[in-house]
Amino acid sequence: MAIKINWFKLNRSLHRDIGYFCIGLTLIFAISGIALNHVDDWNPNYQVTQQRHFIPDINTKIDNDDFESWLLSELKLDTSVKARFWESPKKYKIFTKHNHTLLIDTQKNNVVIEQVTPRFLLKSFNFLHLNEAKSAWTYFSDLYAAMLIYLALSALFMVKGKNGVKSLRGLLVLAGFCVPAAFVIIYSY
Amino acid sequence: MRFLNTALAVILIVTLSLINVAYAERNFGTGADMTQLAKISSILAAPERYMSSPITVEGAIVKVCSKRGCWMELASDKKFQTLRIKVRDGDMVFPMAAMGKVAYATGQLKALELSLEQSKKYLAYLAQENDEQFDVNSVTQTMTIYELSPTGVTIKD
Repeated sequence: MAIKINWFKLNRSLHRDIGYFCIGLTLIFAISGIALNHVDDWNPNYQVTQQRHFIPDINTKIDNDDFESWLLSELKLDTSVKARFWESPKKYKIFTKHNHTLLIDTQKNNVVIEQVTPRFLLKSFNFLHLNEAKSAWTYFSDLYAAMLIYLALSALFMVKGKNGVKSLRGLLVLAGFCVPAAFVIIYSY
Repeated sequence: MRFLNTALAVILIVTLSLINVAYAERNFGTGADMTQLAKISSILAAPERYMSSPITVEGAIVKVCSKRGCWMELASDKKFQTLRIKVRDGDMVFPMAAMGKVAYATGQLKALELSLEQSKKYLAYLAQENDEQFDVNSVTQTMTIYELSPTGVTIKD
């Protein structure tokens, strides 16, 4: 006896379960998508803070052997120096082991303490979204994309009757194609 | 069931957070080939000598592209001098948090011939960065800048 498959029911069950599986991934890609979309307005990966200090003796002490330790104590930074660099005759940079960058203007006796801190979770989301992981993540995200295609297409067969895709609500599907098409027509020609 | 949900959430957050953990050494692309080391000052003094085959440079990371991590500047062994390491967007993403760490980059040195207009813009940008006065009309000749296009980078703590 042939088994009769209820395609409508099977499609709904698959849509439901694949949908559950995709919740986490969709949130990760959507949140990082918003963050990365505005890369010109903010730094989506790092929080960069700056504090400016005026220290009158910098230009007289910069050639001293103990300049770096003196400066760290003046700035009340409990750390040590990782690297240093003369950017120009007036600008000296010190990098500390606690990820501070000290931007020293020897002419104006100014020090800007810049600290770069990775944004909690968001940096990881962006890491995945931009496929920095490469290797297996590339294939896994391809699979995720295939699942999204399935979710989109299977949605067409989820509901029958007056709220189905053959009703007026089908216009929403059409709108989903028209909006991106309009942007292409307006902005790419 | 509630325990399962909590456990899954904790695993997810811990896993994603681990990506931010500091590495003692991090490789990009093939990683750097330490056998071909050349000094940045020597390269910039006679760049034509280094154009024919891949080279490796070493230096503290003093600037990183804040938007896409698509370039970083390595400090030369000589004062006021840097070499830019530039990749196509997304090929490698250099972390801003790596500033001050020592990086090794292996790749091809490239010459960028700037037009007079580009030379003026470039020098004006440098002057602005260094808070210096600059007369754009003082630039009368085109210039060439050099950058390394890497196939492998290693960043050490």
